[in-house]
Amino acid sequence: MIVGEQKPIPEIMKTIEPYKKLLILGCGTCVKTCFAGGEDEVATLASALRLACKQQDKEIQIQEVTVERQCENEFIKEAANAVKENEAVLSLACGAGVQAIVRLFPKSPVLPGINTTFIGIQESHGVFIEECQGCGNCGLATFGGICPVTRCSKKLLNGPCGGSKDGKCEVSKDIDCAWQLIIDRLKTLGQLDNLKKYIPPKNWRTSISGGPRKLIREDHII
Amino acid sequence: MSPQYKPKVTLFYCINSIDKETLKLIHAKVSVELTTVEMACSSMTKDVYLLRAFESGADKVVVVACPETQCRYVQGSIRARKRVEYVKKILNEIGLDCGRLSMLNATARDKETVVKFFEDIGNYKLLKN
Repeated sequence: MIVGEQKPIPEIMKTIEPYKKLLILGCGTCVKTCFAGGEDEVATLASALRLACKQQDKEIQIQEVTVERQCENEFIKEAANAVKENEAVLSLACGAGVQAIVRLFPKSPVLPGINTTFIGIQESHGVFIEECQGCGNCGLATFGGICPVTRCSKKLLNGPCGGSKDGKCEVSKDIDCAWQLIIDRLKTLGQLDNLKKYIPPKNWRTSISGGPRKLIREDHII
Repeated sequence: MSPQYKPKVTLFYCINSIDKETLKLIHAKVSVELTTVEMACSSMTKDVYLLRAFESGADKVVVVACPETQCRYVQGSIRARKRVEYVKKILNEIGLDCGRLSMLNATARDKETVVKFFEDIGNYKLLKN
């Protein structure tokens, strides 16, 4: 899922300053799971902003709507009336969700309420960790299902750097050494021979370094 | 504030930490305008409910939960404390005194402690603590 965190309220207050009628639009998928932009967070932020505006003697009307997914037009359309009734939209979705709203409602100002952070998983309740950088050329099969591009601080593809201690990265004791994890996992799978394979320098053109990416599925286009 | 002003207090409480008798005592002895929200467990405390209490004009919002080691749902009081701490952070961010939100751990046996806590609010001693 996409992991994000809500922007600080003073920063949000600055961006909503010109508007008196505001729609806070939540997203019920990824950012709901990471407690940043679901129905509850929309309600909490709306309440906090109303209190903050009252403190500053500023008038504001806030409408609260949460759609199932802000990155799909089918779901965004459900909020069409609310978008039209308000002067601006404060989107509690990832950057993709914000821009999907912009594409569908080109005349409405859309403001981001979330800092999109990474693609990750929920390691334990309330703890989210990055697992994928969307490099566009997945090599997890070779690495026993553990991604060195994301989880090795140095992005090494041909074995460990030698700096880890007790399974922890030399960059920080809070980071597991990805290569320790890869070797342990390959041992378990009986695939240690994978380590003998030479991985050539990665072609980063498939990643964001190659510019904005586009995926076309001809079989779904009519 | 005029001397006749009664602080508006919203009390969120777990039914295992404040019983009816304690509530009666608070109503009888304490000079505050009290709104009460009864909860089956303090873990039902939600950020938005606390903020909406302030929106409704509360001078002080209080959450009363069981002591953390005595919650019958094990982690309820811990969850309540964490949410109170989170809302305090929000209050700071929006420029409201976070001291207007308080949490008290008590059992139904701690009547005197609870009543004293509210008496202090009524005497403005705890309005911003």
